[in-house]
Amino acid sequence: MATTDKVGAVMVVGGGISGLQSALDLADSGYKVYLVEKNASIGGTMAQLDKTFPTNDCAMCIMAPKLVAAGRHHNIQLITNADIAIVDGQAGNFTVTVRQRAFRVDPTKCTGCGSCAQKCPIEAVDEYNEGTKIRKAIYVAYPQAVPLIYSIDPEKCIGCGICAEECKAKAVDYDQKEKVLEIKVGSIIVSPGFDEFNARLKPEYGYGVYPNVVTSIEFERMLSATGPYFGTVLRPSDGDIPEKIAFIQCVGSRDEHCGNEYCSSVCCMYSIKEAIIAKEHGGNIKPSIFFMDMRAFGKEFDEYYNRAKNEHGIRFVRSRAAAVVENPKTKNMMIKYVENGEPKEEEFGLVVLAVGLTPPADAENLSRVMKFRLNDDGFCQTGAFSPVETSRPGIFVSGAFSSPKDIPMTVAEASGAAAKAGTEITTSRNTLVTKKVYPKEIDVAGKEPRVGVFICHCGINIGGVVNVPEVMEYAKTLPNVVYAEQNLYTCSADAQEKIKEKVKEHDLNRVVVASCTPRTHEPLFQNTIREAGLNAYLFEMANIRDQCSWIHMHEPKAATKKAKALVRMALAKSRLLEPLENLMIDVNQDALVIGGGVSGMVSALELAKQGIKVHLVEREKELGGNLRKLHYLPSGDDPDEYLKKVDQEIRANKNITLHLGTTVKTIDGYVGNFKTQLTDGSEMEHGVVVVAVGGREYKPEGEYLYGKNANVMTLLEFKGKMKKGEVKGDSYVFIQCVGSREDKFPNCSRVCCTGTMTAANKIKDKDPNAKVYVLYRDIRTYGFREKYYKEAAQKGVTFIRFDDEKKPVVEDKGGKIEVRLIDEDTGKEVVLRPDCLVLASGTRPEEGSEELAPMLKVPLTKEGFFLEAHMKLRPIDFATEGVYLAGIAHSPKFVDESIAQALGAVARAMTILSKTTLEAEGIVASVDEQYCDGCGICVPTCEYKALEIIDNKDIKDKKIVDVNVGLCKGCGACVGACPAGALTQKGFRDEQILAMIDAALEEPKKQEVKQ
Amino acid sequence: MSSDAHNHQKAGADHGFEPKIIVFCCNWCSYAGADLAGVSRLQMPPHFRVIRVMCSARVDPEFVLRAFERGADGILVAGCHPADCHYIGGNYRTRRRIALLKMLIQQFGYDTDRLQLEWISAGEGEKFQKTMTEFTNTINELGPSPIRGGE
Amino acid sequence: MTEKHHTAHHQTHAHEKKHEGEWEPKIIGFLCNWCSYAGADLCGVSRYQYPTNIRPVRVMCSTRISPHLVLDIFKAGADGILLGGCHIGDCHYISGNYYTEKRVNLMKKLLKESGIAPERLRLEWVSASEGEKFSKVVTEFTETVKALGPNKVKKDERLMSRVAAADMASETFRLKALVGKELNLVGKGNVYDNKLDPEEIEKIITEATSDEFERSLILELSRTKARSVKELGEIMEVPTDKVLRHIVLLRQNSLIAMEHPEGFTPTYKTIEIGGEQ
Repeated sequence: MATTDKVGAVMVVGGGISGLQSALDLADSGYKVYLVEKNASIGGTMAQLDKTFPTNDCAMCIMAPKLVAAGRHHNIQLITNADIAIVDGQAGNFTVTVRQRAFRVDPTKCTGCGSCAQKCPIEAVDEYNEGTKIRKAIYVAYPQAVPLIYSIDPEKCIGCGICAEECKAKAVDYDQKEKVLEIKVGSIIVSPGFDEFNARLKPEYGYGVYPNVVTSIEFERMLSATGPYFGTVLRPSDGDIPEKIAFIQCVGSRDEHCGNEYCSSVCCMYSIKEAIIAKEHGGNIKPSIFFMDMRAFGKEFDEYYNRAKNEHGIRFVRSRAAAVVENPKTKNMMIKYVENGEPKEEEFGLVVLAVGLTPPADAENLSRVMKFRLNDDGFCQTGAFSPVETSRPGIFVSGAFSSPKDIPMTVAEASGAAAKAGTEITTSRNTLVTKKVYPKEIDVAGKEPRVGVFICHCGINIGGVVNVPEVMEYAKTLPNVVYAEQNLYTCSADAQEKIKEKVKEHDLNRVVVASCTPRTHEPLFQNTIREAGLNAYLFEMANIRDQCSWIHMHEPKAATKKAKALVRMALAKSRLLEPLENLMIDVNQDALVIGGGVSGMVSALELAKQGIKVHLVEREKELGGNLRKLHYLPSGDDPDEYLKKVDQEIRANKNITLHLGTTVKTIDGYVGNFKTQLTDGSEMEHGVVVVAVGGREYKPEGEYLYGKNANVMTLLEFKGKMKKGEVKGDSYVFIQCVGSREDKFPNCSRVCCTGTMTAANKIKDKDPNAKVYVLYRDIRTYGFREKYYKEAAQKGVTFIRFDDEKKPVVEDKGGKIEVRLIDEDTGKEVVLRPDCLVLASGTRPEEGSEELAPMLKVPLTKEGFFLEAHMKLRPIDFATEGVYLAGIAHSPKFVDESIAQALGAVARAMTILSKTTLEAEGIVASVDEQYCDGCGICVPTCEYKALEIIDNKDIKDKKIVDVNVGLCKGCGACVGACPAGALTQKGFRDEQILAMIDAALEEPKKQEVKQ
Repeated sequence: MSSDAHNHQKAGADHGFEPKIIVFCCNWCSYAGADLAGVSRLQMPPHFRVIRVMCSARVDPEFVLRAFERGADGILVAGCHPADCHYIGGNYRTRRRIALLKMLIQQFGYDTDRLQLEWISAGEGEKFQKTMTEFTNTINELGPSPIRGGE
Repeated sequence: MTEKHHTAHHQTHAHEKKHEGEWEPKIIGFLCNWCSYAGADLCGVSRYQYPTNIRPVRVMCSTRISPHLVLDIFKAGADGILLGGCHIGDCHYISGNYYTEKRVNLMKKLLKESGIAPERLRLEWVSASEGEKFSKVVTEFTETVKALGPNKVKKDERLMSRVAAADMASETFRLKALVGKELNLVGKGNVYDNKLDPEEIEKIITEATSDEFERSLILELSRTKARSVKELGEIMEVPTDKVLRHIVLLRQNSLIAMEHPEGFTPTYKTIEIGGEQ
């Protein structure tokens, strides 16, 4: 197909965290993105969460920067309130018809000030808060929503016309009609997320009948500081703080009665999180979690679980709750359950149902319109080796739509889908993106500051409290102010023109806007002054709305005084502003992939397909890593055949240089400019590094007769023997968690339970009469893997649970293996004499990780896996830019998960490699060589490893710090630490902040304002 | 006293003393939390002035000392919660620095309560309100700083 | 809960009945200048007789009477209020009395919520020529009010707080907006050119009135003393889950604040909006 046939644009359907990540990756690597969202604003479920496990990070804090980035990215077009109607064409060239429902508000005029909603007389249920709060008929989902545009709820609006009367920006447009858009794209990514299970379908738990039975997502809002109760947990029935809270797990999951046999993967963890947070909010709250298996399978999840038990005192009850009944007098809830065979009853103040994840309501419609297949459970069908591909070429999938999953895995997949979508149209990269051209910058060096001040009324949001004309007159009296004016909305399109005009007319060389928050509006005004020929950094903002008029509504005089002070402070800083240049860094467009297992192979191949020259380094003499040892997958797919295929493709691809039997000797440099030496003597320069060094199966150190009896072997060893047909005998025992979830290695190895099911089912397939016992602590066959667990149980595999503290005892009785253990469920001793004992052995980091990490300036976890930049939202990135992470090197994971992450690393890498130069941050640290004596105190303060002590080239035997602008993120931590005052932070220089302090504390003279 | 209303009109009313308070907010969490307080229309005393820095670790001891020298009655440094720092671990350093500064200002005759560190996330508008109200009340009780003739 | 219901269970009911003969109701009559006031004059000219309890107040148009005024008068202890206006279609100011009708509807709802019998408020169209009708209306209304007994608002703290809450609710933008827009929405059509079903808007206003009343009552009751949801529910005779939902909204709007909870029952106190010193 000719290059011109491919459209260099991608449509992402669904604007949750998944779609957001895909969109940002693609838009940052040369593709135009249309982000289509069915709701009026993007953000999805994550925006509703209070905290995230296992770090208890505030969800909105970590998500908001991504929301804002997507909202103002010039290559992302947000199409919200919209549905997909028709998809025509084929991979590389689709025509999508999108129907955008009417907002009844003009998005180009709405400033998001919210005056309309304050006055709207119609109340409606607030969906964002899961019905725990009230919103108006004209509304925005939540305060940080992107785009921040109000819309009218057509169901609720009575058409009274008050919002139009209130809107000073004249944005309300009752006649706005549905829009039908036809959009040409090369690839499509579907990421519509999931719905929560409807708890009413489990009537025995009384949801919807008893007020004190809530779902986990409702409880999430109840915990949130922005939720109905401002973070205090209260009972909906009477507002009391519940002393005892019960969490009931698996509501709508692992339950054939409601049709959802799969495990929802995330509920165990979110319940632990909610229990911990609830306890943190009110120390007297006693949470109990009723569960079947605790599925804390992810990176450092078991440690979180252990902390919940041991430090936070969360009680865990291993039982499926049978029913919940209300005590009508106290409104307390009686939970009936069976523990250790005994029926019990216990009273709780509040019951939280851990509802499972179901396919989104529009799944079937999407599959019909877009022509891809759903699986038996109604989720999007994917393959074991194609985790981000739908059944229709050119359409990719990510997030919970393909299977229930947590946020880190979703984000990794989202990047993975972005990589695949990009590969499809790589020949048309950079064909549809635009780059803004600005006029030549006016040289302001050495010129006296001439400041223009623009003060915003924000309709009545500021003007209704602060005396704006008075502030304007005051501003005029301040030094260097040559022009001041007031605007109804300084952010409106006509006001931007006015600012440009005034810059020219009055020869302004600094601009101060006093309005709302720089967090949302600074880029807009910076863009405006750039268009007027001023450097973007000659701009300063005073926040007189969010942090003044809105929080001092009843004190207009004090608020006006404060607004004047804030303007005076902004002005003080603005006088000292200087143009900053965003330094450009050259980028070498080659890549280095370390590790030739499935992750490294997939990363290398996908990068090569996108035209990147790749060096693939593998320690062994052949490619494949752990994939060579698997032989079987539970789905029936053949890993050996897949390996052969990928191996051939790699060898045939001329973009890939293979370095087998080789390791890395040294790596120097930084993003875009790495230099590497390998042990095979070769040297190369490259722009990025993908770390895919994998891990290895733990070899038991004498436990359970391993190494002493030939019939005791690890799971991978067993599979190897099976493949060769060397397995003999008719009774088998599997022991789980060997070398996992123990003191030395506290976390779960994720794959062993499912691996055991694969082996057990294989044995039973061959010999249905074979006796198979699985001795376990928790069965962790999460997601659709649950069906292999069920299959094993149906085939007659016996599962016996042992206590964490009472491991099975294995003895050699004259060559014969004897296993003794206490069955925790019955309390009775069991003795087994299997022919073969298989140890489901955990996963360990690969050797050499400890040497590699410091070379890359990246950290390891205490268990020795690589530690990513952020556990939740940056699972593939490191804090060190240009270095990415995939596969087991990150933490134990399945083949499909490794593939998704490996593809994700490609998308992240392409955000660098698609460019020839990178723009460094403007606000960076810089060093004054005169004052720096190379003491090095600053070096450890930099989390990005941007500082280095080097020889001072001017003065012999003296050291000096060197700031690598390619790595600096501009936080200023080093500047605050420098004892010599040699480091400065551009844009936040000491003089600038001190000037603001002085201005803040200045006593304005009484007669300063002429009135 | 109530926790989220804080009868704030009392603050600043006594003896005509208007406390001068400087608040350093990190860009990513606390400044966003302050914005959220505004969006939620949470009311609080008006005597504080916010200075935005990228990270709470940017707050140089010099800033604190200069502000006291120029007559600030109280200084509050607000940053991300320890695990949430946008710059990974910046705020751990802030914590140590503030502890040292407290010792220093005490030697100058300042009550250590005049300098405070708080973790306020982007979702904690109410905590911002509460912190500002309580801090203003604390400063009101302490009265003018030594340099303004107090203590 | 209505007044009748309330007095029926009142301990002193029998005692009051004994003195009924001595008590005379205080009735305020608001009469529009152009019709009712003229009608009352004609009544006098024609020597029609009616009880002496009414104290007429002349206003230019019946729309001058706001819910706030009516509730304030009941708060001051009046036993009945009669509003006299021109017949629909005859208003001197074209359409004033249409609005009066809508507002009286709201006043009655609020009276009912507060526990004052809505029958204590009566709206009558009396034209300049209906002297006889005027005497009949006043006589009848005085009888009605007598039968209802005295307005106990000044002796009954609970009733007083409810009337004060109704007064506060009547001043909310929401109710003013809904009642002010009602006529046009039903008569001329809304911004989408649809005429609203009168029953539908009536339902919306009834619900809004009840909500605004209950919210105002929470603020009224929590002004001097911090109260728990359960306490409020008991005093207000409103289910506690509903009280909590109101408190959620009131907190959102910075009108009420949670006190530091001691034990497991938080209490709430109304935020006084302080003026500037």
